[in-house]
Parts: sequence; structure tokens; C-alpha cells
Amino acid sequence: MAKKQTYNQDELIILIRERNQKAFTYLYDNYSKALFGVINSIVNSQEEAEDVLQNTFIKIWNNFASYEEAKGRLYTWMLNIARNMAIDSTRSKHEKIKTKIQSTNDTVYQKNNLFVDDTAHESIGLKTILNSLKEEHKLIIDLAYFEGYTQEEISKRLNIPLGTVKTKVRQAILTLRGLTKTEFLQ
Amino acid sequence: MNVNEVISSGLLESYVLGTASAWETDLVNDLCKKNPLLIKEIESIEEALIKYSSQSTATINSEVKNKIEVKLFSAHDQQAPKEATILALKDQNKTVRLYKLGIAASVIFIITSVVYIFSLQERLNKTGDKLADVTSSKISAEEELKAQQTSLIVLNSKLQILSDPKIKTIGLKGMNSLASKSALVHWNSATNEVYFNASALPSSPTNKQYQLWAIVDGKPVDIGVIDLESDSTFQKMKAVKNAQGFAVTIEKTGGSNAPTMDTMCLLGNV
Repeated sequence: MAKKQTYNQDELIILIRERNQKAFTYLYDNYSKALFGVINSIVNSQEEAEDVLQNTFIKIWNNFASYEEAKGRLYTWMLNIARNMAIDSTRSKHEKIKTKIQSTNDTVYQKNNLFVDDTAHESIGLKTILNSLKEEHKLIIDLAYFEGYTQEEISKRLNIPLGTVKTKVRQAILTLRGLTKTEFLQ
Repeated sequence: MNVNEVISSGLLESYVLGTASAWETDLVNDLCKKNPLLIKEIESIEEALIKYSSQSTATINSEVKNKIEVKLFSAHDQQAPKEATILALKDQNKTVRLYKLGIAASVIFIITSVVYIFSLQERLNKTGDKLADVTSSKISAEEELKAQQTSLIVLNSKLQILSDPKIKTIGLKGMNSLASKSALVHWNSATNEVYFNASALPSSPTNKQYQLWAIVDGKPVDIGVIDLESDSTFQKMKAVKNAQGFAVTIEKTGGSNAPTMDTMCLLGNV
């Protein structure tokens, strides 16, 4: 445990395909926090987030045959699973609540408010990096990363030109990388 | 599109975020094959996103990892052998029980079969006996029928003979030793045939036989001895012409050439 083994994506994929438990441990240790962060931002409770995380890893492991390297990054594939499962989870809960107290329109309205709320208070608690992220950048990155919105969808939703969305997504991630646009271009 | 244009287009970010369209994804994959620099860029975008979403204050309960591992690797897990052994024992018990049940069932089956075979054997024997009985009674019935048919034919022929208008039936009256007895002679005057009915006669004394004589022109003519053993009611005798009467004497077995007059026991005239 002293020396921390690292695998690149290709090595990791081979190990997972061998159904190696070490590969699972590595996968979990390296990606569970990131995926949990995504899930936690979508669902409403810690408990629900943990359930979704558990189901996500089980699905990743058991459905690994459906992952194709040519279709994209391993992390992106896992992210899609986590995001979809989290959304499904809230949707099934939402359905129950909705039938009780809310009309469909109210739900949509409330969901819109939710995004605004997310930007308003910073309870997700990204201390150092998050503080350096501008509010509008955070909103855009969260929609893309946590909710899986395409740039076109963000453009429509926030009523911002598509080109601006692209730039802002890029700037947000550059900020997260600790880089400025100018630093990179040099 | 040069590398910098691709990098600044925001395409790589969409690619990692999983929000790129299919054709955009294909495009990035193709570009990556030609430019390793793009892979580096993608990896650092990915790293930044992972870092970003990992910065949550919420920590994951350590139980979650264990739960997943139990679900995914329970067959190789330390907890698993216990369960596996119990299962194996259960299975073994089940198998042994199944074997026992199978053996018991086989024994019962064999015993039942043997008993059944014996009962079948017995029934077969009985049936065989019955069949033999039926066959023999059938044979005797057939024989009886044949006999009846024969006697019917005989009777018919007798009837035919007797119903001939030329037939004369002569009653012979008993005398001497057979004073109370009688006999019948059927004589056809056209064909000269003679039939003797001795049904009313007692059996002849030992080593003696009844002999029938026809009286022709006052003289006795031998027309045969009476065989009481065969057909006493309708015995065909020798033919005789112009008979005026018939008489029976008791002679030595086989008959005599001339009648012994003092043994004459029956006499009748035509």
C-alpha cells in the first residue's frame, strides 16, 4: 500500500476485462469520489447518493463488455452511467412527490430554481478551486458535467449564444486545471 | 482543423463531458490517432473534471465499497467459503438423500415386480388349465356331435329302409326259455334284405349266440348270427328270398349249419 500503483486507461481496461479484483479496487479508489460528487449533486440525500454509487459500480463492472474504447474515454462512459442512474433515481422519487403535491409545470419551474439555487449557495464545498470559478462558469460546468446538458441545450436554457457557451465551458475547465487561457496558449 | 483550433473549439471538453454528438466523438477519436498531443489535452481535461467533482465535503461511507465487493466478488471473498461449504454440505446431503430415496424406490419396485411376476405366472397356469379343459370339452363336444350326426345318419337310413313299402315287419314270439320275450324282423320282399331288432332280447348264455333262420319252403335257411355287442336294434342279416317265416335258435358261438330244434326260442310267420 506504500507505493501507489498507477495504471493508464489501456492497462486498466485490460485488467477490468480479466475481471481482476485489483482492477475494481483501483477503479473504485480513483473514481468513486469524482462519480460520487456528480451523483451527490443530482440526488437529494447522502444515503440516496451512496445507493446510486453502489449500483453505478455494479453496473460498470457487470456491463463492462458494452464499453468500447473507440467510442470515448473510460471515465466518460462511467460518468454517463453515474449521471443516468442518479437522474433515474431522482426521477422515480420526483414522480412520487409530483403525483402528491405538484403539477408537471411546477416541477419544471422548481427544477429551474434549483440550478439558480446551486449557484447561489456553495454548499457543494469546493473550497480552493471552486472559489476561483466564476459563478456563471460554475453554472455552465455543472449543467454540462452533472446534468449532461449539451452545449446547444445550455445555450437554449441560459439564452446565451452557442459560441459563448463553448468559450465559457473551456474557460471553466481551464480554470479548474489551474491554467489561464493565456498560460496554455504560450 | 489544426491542433490549436481543435483545442480551443471546446470539442474536447464536450468529448470528456460525454455531451459530444456521435460524429463529434468520431472526429475527436480520429484526430487523437494523428495527434498524441490531443490525448494529453483530453487527459488533463478529464483530470480537472475528476478533481472538481471529487472536491465534495460529503464523504462516502466506507461500507459502500465493501457492499459492492461482496456483490461482485462474493465467490472469491473471505466470507464466501463459509457459505460455499454449507451449500456444498447441503448439496451432498441432498444427493445422499436422493440416492437413498432412489435405492428404496428401486427395492420397492423390484419386490413389487417379483410379486407381480408370480401372480402373473399363477394366472397364466390357471388360464392354461382352463384352456386345456375348454379344449378337451370342445373335443368331446365335437366327438359327441359327430356321434350324433352319425347316429342321425344311421337313423335316417334305418327310417328310409323301414319306410320302404316293400318292407314287412314280422314279430317273433318267444317260446321255451324266452317265452315272455319278442323280437322283430324287417324283410324287404323286393330286395330280400333282412334286418333284425334284438333290443328286447336278454344277452345270450356264455359261449352261445342267437342265430336267425328263415323258413323257406318249410326248411330252415341260415341267415346269420346275432351280434348283440354291436347294434342290437337294427342288425343287417343275410338276404333271403321267399321267406315264409323266421326263427331264432341258441347255438354255439359262430353259429351252426343246422338249427338245434330244442333250443328254438323265437318264431314268427310272414
